[in-house]
Amino acid sequence: MSVRGTRVPEHLRLPIAGVTPPPTEQDGQRLFPTGNFRFFRPVYKDKTPPCNNACPTGEQIQKYLDFVKHERFLDGYLTILEDNPMPSVTGRVCYHPCETACNRKDHDEPIGIRNVERYLGDYGLQLPENPIKAELPELGDKTVAIVGSGPGGLGCAYHLRRLGYRSVIFEAMSKPGGMLRGGIPHWHLPEEILDAEIAKLLDLGGIEIRCNTRMGEDVGWDELRNYDAAFLAVGQDVGRRLSVDGADLRGVGGALEFLREAGMGRPVKAGKRVLVIGGGNTASDAARSAVRIGGGTSTIVSLESADELLIVPEDLEQARDEGIEFKPNTSVVRFLGENGVLTGAVLCEARLEKDEHGNVVPQHVPGTEYEVSCDSVLIAIGQTQVLDWLPAELMERGLVKADEYGRAQGHVFVGGDVTRGPAMVVDALGDGKRAARNIDVVLRGEGLAPPPEVEVMPYERLNTAYFKHAPRIEAPMASPAERRRDQKVEVTLAYSKEQAVAESDRCMSCGVCNGCDNCYIVCPDVSVMRDTRENGHYSIRTTYCKGCLVCVQECPTGCLEKVPEMDFDEPEAVTRMETAFAPYDGAHAEQSAFTKGLIEEAIAASDAARRQSVNGSNGHAPAGSNGSRGATS
Amino acid sequence: MTTVTTSPASGPAALERGVRTPDGEKFIDGIAGTSVRMNGCSAAAYAALYANVDVITAYPIRPYTAIMMNLAQFIADGVLDAEYVTADGEHAQLSAAFGAASCGARAFTGSSGVGVTYAYEMYSIISGARIPVHMSIADRTLDPPGDFGSEHTDALCTRDMGWLLGWAATPQEVFDKSLIALAIGEDPRVLLPQMVVQDGYFVSHIAGKVDLPSAAAVDAYLPPYQLPFALDPRRPVSHGPQIHPEQGPPLQLERARAMEDAIPVIREKTDEFGAAFGRHYSHFVEEFMLDDAEIAIVISGGHSVTCRAAIMRLREQGIKVGMARLMWVRPFPSEDLRKALRGVKAVGVVETNLGLGGPSYGGILAPDVTTALYHMEGTRPLVTSFMAGLGGETVPVAEFDWMAGKLAAAVRNGRVEKAAHWVGFED
Amino acid sequence: MAHEVVRQHLPLFDEDGRSAAVDGDAGRDLHYLPDFPEEDPYQAGHRTCAGCGPAIEYRWVLKAAGQDTVMAGPTGCMYVANSTYLCTPYTVPWAHTPIASGGSFTSGMAAGYEAMIRKGRHPGPYPNIVVMAGDGSAADIGLGSISGALYRNHDALYICYDNECYANTGIQVSPTTPYAGMTTFTPFGKAVPEGKTLPPKNLARMMAEGHPNCYVATTTVGYSVDLMNKTRKGLNHQGAAFLHCYTPCQKGWVYQTSMTIELGRRVVEAGLFPVWEYDPEERKYHYFHPPVQRPVTDYLAMQGRFGHMLPEHVASMQMAANRNWEDIGMDVPDELRELEDPERHKRLADEQYSMPLNRGVGA
Repeated sequence: MSVRGTRVPEHLRLPIAGVTPPPTEQDGQRLFPTGNFRFFRPVYKDKTPPCNNACPTGEQIQKYLDFVKHERFLDGYLTILEDNPMPSVTGRVCYHPCETACNRKDHDEPIGIRNVERYLGDYGLQLPENPIKAELPELGDKTVAIVGSGPGGLGCAYHLRRLGYRSVIFEAMSKPGGMLRGGIPHWHLPEEILDAEIAKLLDLGGIEIRCNTRMGEDVGWDELRNYDAAFLAVGQDVGRRLSVDGADLRGVGGALEFLREAGMGRPVKAGKRVLVIGGGNTASDAARSAVRIGGGTSTIVSLESADELLIVPEDLEQARDEGIEFKPNTSVVRFLGENGVLTGAVLCEARLEKDEHGNVVPQHVPGTEYEVSCDSVLIAIGQTQVLDWLPAELMERGLVKADEYGRAQGHVFVGGDVTRGPAMVVDALGDGKRAARNIDVVLRGEGLAPPPEVEVMPYERLNTAYFKHAPRIEAPMASPAERRRDQKVEVTLAYSKEQAVAESDRCMSCGVCNGCDNCYIVCPDVSVMRDTRENGHYSIRTTYCKGCLVCVQECPTGCLEKVPEMDFDEPEAVTRMETAFAPYDGAHAEQSAFTKGLIEEAIAASDAARRQSVNGSNGHAPAGSNGSRGATS
Repeated sequence: MTTVTTSPASGPAALERGVRTPDGEKFIDGIAGTSVRMNGCSAAAYAALYANVDVITAYPIRPYTAIMMNLAQFIADGVLDAEYVTADGEHAQLSAAFGAASCGARAFTGSSGVGVTYAYEMYSIISGARIPVHMSIADRTLDPPGDFGSEHTDALCTRDMGWLLGWAATPQEVFDKSLIALAIGEDPRVLLPQMVVQDGYFVSHIAGKVDLPSAAAVDAYLPPYQLPFALDPRRPVSHGPQIHPEQGPPLQLERARAMEDAIPVIREKTDEFGAAFGRHYSHFVEEFMLDDAEIAIVISGGHSVTCRAAIMRLREQGIKVGMARLMWVRPFPSEDLRKALRGVKAVGVVETNLGLGGPSYGGILAPDVTTALYHMEGTRPLVTSFMAGLGGETVPVAEFDWMAGKLAAAVRNGRVEKAAHWVGFED
Repeated sequence: MAHEVVRQHLPLFDEDGRSAAVDGDAGRDLHYLPDFPEEDPYQAGHRTCAGCGPAIEYRWVLKAAGQDTVMAGPTGCMYVANSTYLCTPYTVPWAHTPIASGGSFTSGMAAGYEAMIRKGRHPGPYPNIVVMAGDGSAADIGLGSISGALYRNHDALYICYDNECYANTGIQVSPTTPYAGMTTFTPFGKAVPEGKTLPPKNLARMMAEGHPNCYVATTTVGYSVDLMNKTRKGLNHQGAAFLHCYTPCQKGWVYQTSMTIELGRRVVEAGLFPVWEYDPEERKYHYFHPPVQRPVTDYLAMQGRFGHMLPEHVASMQMAANRNWEDIGMDVPDELRELEDPERHKRLADEQYSMPLNRGVGA
């Protein structure tokens, strides 16, 4: 017998026929840690999407779009609330710098972010209980004075509340809201929405709004300084005057004042033939409100040419749809009147020029004067604020000076239009948030520091193969005729749930993991691990990852990056092999126990069956006569 | 460093015996206990029917085709429930049987001549994987020349591929040996594929009496096939991985051990068969009139029937001649052969095969026999070989007489005339 | 009495989005994948090259098939690289088969399970039976074996993972190697400037045309949902199914390891690997019409194996692609038609082409 006396070393006692036990899902097959192939390692590193970056409040837009995509509306709502207290307001009135920055514009059309935000905001307003209330910290003993209950002031109060501070807001008007109420018409922002958002804010506790309290009259600068800190967000609600003949005629008024009266719910009148002087958004809002209130026509008279108008394009288009007329490159020479009452205006061709300070200097074209008749004029050529109650050293060119942190002086911070001139609601909200955070820092006795540098994800670094071209879903609109009927008729209507979800689907999640699973599925080595499909839950199994970088290449969003393996210093991350073929000598041979077990089990079963069969077949002993010679049949 | 540990997961329960069809039960009940005249092909098919095989893989080639024709008819008649795979060639035929048996199905296949060699790649793979496929061969001359006749070369070509390889000399033996081979090959101590070979036409197409047992008797003898490491999702394993060079020798040693470990099981299963069915076969070497023999013929297969007749006649003439018939060629019964031929002075190996350019310049078997006898204690017999029955020719009694003459001369001269004789072409 | 053979039915994945290879611009813009099964019967620790296309395909197929699966793998790179040295990455039963036995071995497995379940020797349900054969095995040496199995209609899924060469042995030409593809058996030189002179064998079409009951589909690793769904459709189809999968070979084609999936898309967008499904009942082909049609140079220039191509070779490749576009019922844009003219080309090495976003060379 040739195999008698053979002896196989322990580490080579291999399974019969090489029959090999399976690997485990948990640990792979463990005999060959292929991680040692690797020169580069994929690393998850989120970038800042351009939308988030563009949003003054720093809304995590990608994140909430992702929640909406999965119909996780509450999570989406809570995400917005981290940065913006009033999404149902901004979801209606924001001029959406996020959409302007959206990378999707380079692909097809930007995401309708504002419409989704509005959807979430309205979703939130319908909740029986404000979901953040339970999460709020206890109120501390520090109180911050806030001047102005516009978006800046309310935003600041909200974020202070989230940080545990009390606040007192001084508001000159009879109702809170500032320009939200006094500058934005109801057809743009329904009063009940604003009221609901403010009520929600007050419901958090620790925020007090004192209306009819005007700075310089009811409260003074010194009184402010009794508080632990202060935030000035008084806005600019005083319209500039137009110094032409006839500006004092009855029928000539300020557009801002007109809008404010309407916003406060006080009776206002508009003529049948309204001239609105100005080329910006206030002019547009006033012209459009005027046709709703007066039922006549509005004509926007602007120095700006049609291309230079400062009206945001969508508003301009809506205004045109509503029949608003435009007289671009036109200036007012004088207003005409009879018995002190406006009857018309003399206009002329003109163009817009500015002096070295940026002040508007109209250039009339001589000999082009003509008359028009009108019964109302609304002036919308800019706005300012009365700040005589402030120390003069804090002022510069009619605005409040502030350093890079929005600080005017000591614990006094400033934000909103009063620092930069008329801007967007969301700018003021952002200032409010920044002020709250900075106030928190200074009240804790720490030094202010600039925000960390962010890496904004450009379109070019997305893997656009993953993004099908899909048109933007436009929000539904009320018809122009319907809109003109009443100033309470909202112009832009809401997305349906399906629309909100579908539009959120278009988000490319620039630079941020959204759990799309592409890295997970493309890995040839089952080395992208995750417990749930969420950002932060993905990791690389370094024992096996070979560093092919398919995952990095295929990451649609670009949140995966390659990092040279040499940059890591984790001796445990890569299993080193003691032998060329296995982590250690004899690793393969250990598998023979498995196969041996299978065979032994089968032999035992077969022996048992044979014993049974021998006993059962009537005593036929297994014949064993050695002398049997050939067939006997 | 973590240690790799593995242990068998809780596996599938012991397999049930496959159910027969009602018609099959009725059919076997009807023939149980009868003697039926049938040829070797039918006998092989009946054995497969009794063994209740699960998968049959077929491809036509003469003369074994009749085995598959019979099985196809059993299935068509509803007597046998098995998957009948009409393969696209013998390689595929063996592969399909391999695949089926790897999953735990009892797989039956077969071939002849160049069909056997067309599938050559598969033999080592199947035995190395330790998958007990059953192959029924009716042997046939390899091409050229184009020849339907029997020659043992086809099956003998595979002799070193790790299969159990044995010849049956009569239809009854074909039937019996098929069942015995299955019982041995499927035994978990063995797990080797088996070839049961019958001589083309001489056995495959000449009818003989076959005693047919009851299904219960066969079931009692032949347990259900259970591959311990079947490809079964309930207990996953991998078959046939690549190895690293230093792992080659121990695995090959394991294969060698498997052939040797089969020897006691062959004895056991042969004896158990005798006890169960009353037909007692030699384990490895049928000894015919060897007790006092001076000269002996070593032979395998159907020509042994003629050989027996020739020996009886020579004995009448006072010539002390006997016959040693190899029941199995693999594993080669060296020990049994030495025991059987002790005291014999000259041995002639009947080669019904071609071993071109081999050590004897004759056939394939003589070198094996010579090697076995070389290690005999005491006086070793002289060995020569006889090229006879090639191309399907008969080996008539006269040729055995001639062979006996040559052997007697060798005894007289104390040496053989030559290593291989071409019977019929020499004086 | 015979037992009933109960078969599995695997639900299909949602086909919204890019990875599905479905027509049309409508629908949601999901790059977000559906929830695939968590289990990976093809596990880590195999020694395939970094970025291996077939490894990705193996993983997807077994993920789609699940644990109640039995698998065979004929000799090929995926035999040698996966099951090296007594360690295999399969948590499902797997067997190596000889290179020519992919179809036949698998038909044996199928026949075995049919018989065993019917005869009460296996409790069932009938497992998913999958064989993954390389292009050498499926289109060359084992073609007859797979054809036989498909013809006999054994209930199993026969997959050709096509890396367009015999990769394991060091990159030799196979019938599916594209025209002008350089391999060690089709080098280019002065006398044979294009390297391989023959166009590829149309394996899947041949399988669809010749096997009356067989579900046949083609797909690539560029489309995970498509690949997994076709796997499941093939498995759900009662009878034989054949799936031809394009799987890039980084070593054999000479490209950056990270580009495997990108190539899987580009080959379709270049018109060089039509993706379709053949329904044997309707006897109809359903073609995927990719949203982008590219010049072949966008595909060829990413791979070193084509680096030697001369203008006339590139033009004739474009011609072949254009015929493919017509075959699948798509218009050939004028700019692609014009590229059939060799005058419009330079040597491939000098051609301008649209480079994909490149986030870096791996491994």
